[in-house]
Amino acid sequence: MQPTDENAFPPGPSPRPTPAAARHRRRLRHALCAGAAALALVGAAAVGPAGPAAATSAQDSGDGGDDGGGDGGDGDRTVLTAAVAQSVDSLSPFLAVTLVATTLNRLMYDSLVNYDVKTQEPIPGLAEKWEPSDAGRTWTYTIRDGVEWSDGRPLTAEDARWTFHTMMTDDAAGTANGSYVTNFEKVSAPDPRTLVVELKEPQATMNSMDLPIVPKHVWKDVDNLGKFNNDADFPVVGSGPYVLTDFKTDSYVTFERNENFWRGAPKFDEVTFKYYKETDAAVAALRKGEVSFVPDLTPAHAASLADHPDIKVNDGQGRRFWAIAVNPGARDVEGRTFGDGHPALLDPKVRKALFHAVDRDVIVNKVLQGHGVVGAGYIPPRFADYHWKPSADQEVGYDPQEAARLLDEAGYELKDGKRVGKDGRPLDFRMLCHATDPKDKAAGKYLEEWWGALGIGLDLQCLDNVGDPWVAGEYDLAFDGWSVNPDPDFVLAIHTCAALPESEDVVGQTDNFICDKEFDRLYAEQLATYDDPAKRAETVQEMQSVLYDTGYMNVLAYPNSVEAYRTDHIKSITAMPAGNGNIWGQDGSWSWATAVPAAAASEDDDGSALGVVLGGGAAVVIVAAASVVFTLRRRATAEDRE
Amino acid sequence: MSTEALGEEPGAEPPDTGAPAKSAAPADSADSAADPGALAWARRRRSAARFWRAYRGQRAGLVGLVALAVIAFTALAAPLLVGSDADSVTDAPGTALENPSTEFPLGTDQFGRSVLDLLVYGARISLTVGLLAAALTVGIGTLVGMLAGHYGGWLSGVLMRVTDFFLVMPTLVLAIVLATVMSRSVTTVIIAIGVAAWPKTARLVRAQTLAIEARPYVERARALGGGHTHVMRRHVLPNVLPLVLAQTTLVISEAILTEATLAFLGLGDPQVVSWGGMLQDAREAGAISSGHWSFLVPPGIAIAVVALCFTLAGRALESVLNPKLGVAK
Repeated sequence: MQPTDENAFPPGPSPRPTPAAARHRRRLRHALCAGAAALALVGAAAVGPAGPAAATSAQDSGDGGDDGGGDGGDGDRTVLTAAVAQSVDSLSPFLAVTLVATTLNRLMYDSLVNYDVKTQEPIPGLAEKWEPSDAGRTWTYTIRDGVEWSDGRPLTAEDARWTFHTMMTDDAAGTANGSYVTNFEKVSAPDPRTLVVELKEPQATMNSMDLPIVPKHVWKDVDNLGKFNNDADFPVVGSGPYVLTDFKTDSYVTFERNENFWRGAPKFDEVTFKYYKETDAAVAALRKGEVSFVPDLTPAHAASLADHPDIKVNDGQGRRFWAIAVNPGARDVEGRTFGDGHPALLDPKVRKALFHAVDRDVIVNKVLQGHGVVGAGYIPPRFADYHWKPSADQEVGYDPQEAARLLDEAGYELKDGKRVGKDGRPLDFRMLCHATDPKDKAAGKYLEEWWGALGIGLDLQCLDNVGDPWVAGEYDLAFDGWSVNPDPDFVLAIHTCAALPESEDVVGQTDNFICDKEFDRLYAEQLATYDDPAKRAETVQEMQSVLYDTGYMNVLAYPNSVEAYRTDHIKSITAMPAGNGNIWGQDGSWSWATAVPAAAASEDDDGSALGVVLGGGAAVVIVAAASVVFTLRRRATAEDRE
Repeated sequence: MSTEALGEEPGAEPPDTGAPAKSAAPADSADSAADPGALAWARRRRSAARFWRAYRGQRAGLVGLVALAVIAFTALAAPLLVGSDADSVTDAPGTALENPSTEFPLGTDQFGRSVLDLLVYGARISLTVGLLAAALTVGIGTLVGMLAGHYGGWLSGVLMRVTDFFLVMPTLVLAIVLATVMSRSVTTVIIAIGVAAWPKTARLVRAQTLAIEARPYVERARALGGGHTHVMRRHVLPNVLPLVLAQTTLVISEAILTEATLAFLGLGDPQVVSWGGMLQDAREAGAISSGHWSFLVPPGIAIAVVALCFTLAGRALESVLNPKLGVAK
């Protein structure tokens, strides 16, 4: 984290490698402008590690330059700098839905119930204890005594009541987590340490109320909660382990530790999240020690960082599933259909044939290069209680022959290498893929070949924003993925009929327009089972079985969280759950709240990056030399002419 | 003007002119005076030979041409050279991101495919897009330029303002916008580049059209009753063509670069192998910071080399065909 590297604060914003190379290039451009542009492309790409990192630092240094420093430079203050890429949608817990924003919210605001860092079981947070009464319709939470906001004001049941009440009554405040409170009848705080929630129906998620509680004395003055992003007035009063002290969109987010945090003040004085839109730049910064932590590494990064003496790569079990979603015919709550999903996909045999042709082992071994677990049920194996696997005769395994047989049986004859339906329409499917996620594109190439061998065409539509065609129902297939919480309610709720949009112009909560009576019945059943976790888990598994059999969601894999941190900056950081967990995007703030700074930072080292610079440099020199020869020759011929 | 026109013979024009040279043909040819068609062909052969002699004198142009021939041959013969399944991910022979070896001279990509094979395959897309986009660009540019130059007046004003509008818009930005709003395919990239890059050609062609129409023989043709279509087809177009040809060659390298840039920015067709797409794949796989130069450098160099070759050939062509440079013999 020492800013000793000369690339950290370059004089200009341009990431040119050396003046000499620039001179070469200028001459080249002068003589052969088009060729030079190509060279610039090579140069810029090849000298990547120095380039983008330097550019990012330059951008940051304009903001005072105080956040680029480390623990080594200014004595006793310890700073943990983490690289992030995703943009913050809002820092208001009422509005935030992105993973990065909810993670930051957990640093800022504590919740009634936390998840244990080792077991992921619900444990007391701001609420010391809670108990249901009236057959699960009334829940009484006892708020921890002596907890204070970061400004010294006491945190009471009234703050929690105000937070929930606001979500129930203000539509804007229910944007992010409104579904948690739709079943609330009434919330009251009879005394500063007692919160009473009365429900319409019993609700199992009351055992895991991990919604952020905001300070009423600050938030009651906010005019429009739908517009308030909580990112202007610093420091932001909170109850979490860290206090937000500064924020600049897509540039940085800084936190100072909360001395009043009830679990005890964290060890790092500051936590800074710095934006690196390029993972390559973030990895280069990690190598140089400019950042201490980088999430979302590619397999190549993980392999190359593994040898570094001061960097530890954490290949933790992921929270996400990664699936293929099939458009079941987009519809709204009233049953009015819209969109233009391929009608052939409504035939269960066609869906089954598609998935029989997918080799999940290859996806995990080649696309994820082993950094993941082969997909089965909907909920990742990390949540062992809820994880489900299809039985042997239920499973749609890799079997291209069976796939071809099913398509024949369904009436899709093979004509000139294409499967054509009785109506003459060929099986050509569009598939939405996230342009920002290389995994999707890579897996798409395999699907294209597997399905192509069956005679099914695939048009991979990689978009930056898949949301527009998705909510309009204008897709046949799509890559889908959600982070799953220890309480699986949310990811199950998005497949119920109630989650369908009210009309085709409205964005519903639904993930993939699935509406299945049996699934809905089981959903209601598990939600009502508040007092018997084992029975609820059984119901949740049954739901996954139903979902699997519909053939509208097929989980390819559970990708690991591949992340790395510098051991000379961070002595220890807690992964969740114990054993093989992740650090970034936990259900809680454990990783940052319990990270311990290393005693002293060692010298920087970027040996491997040097190789790339040398290789790229050599390429530049070769092409530049060739161009000089050409230029001289051209000049010679020009002189001959004159 | 009309008296001067007698002294101005098409012999002073660029070599491969079509119609206006007809009157001069009998004077030139001594051997076969019988058939005018055969005469015209003989003259064309001679001017082609003259052109080739002049081009041969341009060493850089010759180098570019030879290199292009080799690359074009490689691209056409790609399925024979590296097998037709070189871009298949399911039959990939190697493991992910291997370093160069005797089996894979340039290593492998993240799917285990040989980078050398992909490079050979990528040449097809780069050349196809380069040629077609250049053809589109020059086509639009020539049409607009000639119409504006020939008719003049308000039509010229309108067309040139439209041209100016596209001219001030950065080509890359316009191409990105077009590639974003349309579906991702090779056709989209060709259209995006073609629509974005034509104004330069239009300006050039308009200037040349004005210069040619000021020449006395055009006036003579008009006086003899030649209409707009006749003048444009028989007199202006043949004289604009050499310039257009040189311009095309230069535009190709620009189009190849733009194609690579669009693919690198993720706006190309993800389902075809192209050099820009390879750079993008390398970036996404993290090849840059993990030191897998062999995945990254070859496509970059290939782009640079092809663009360079077209530029060299184009410059040579330009100096041979453009009499203002004083090379035409």
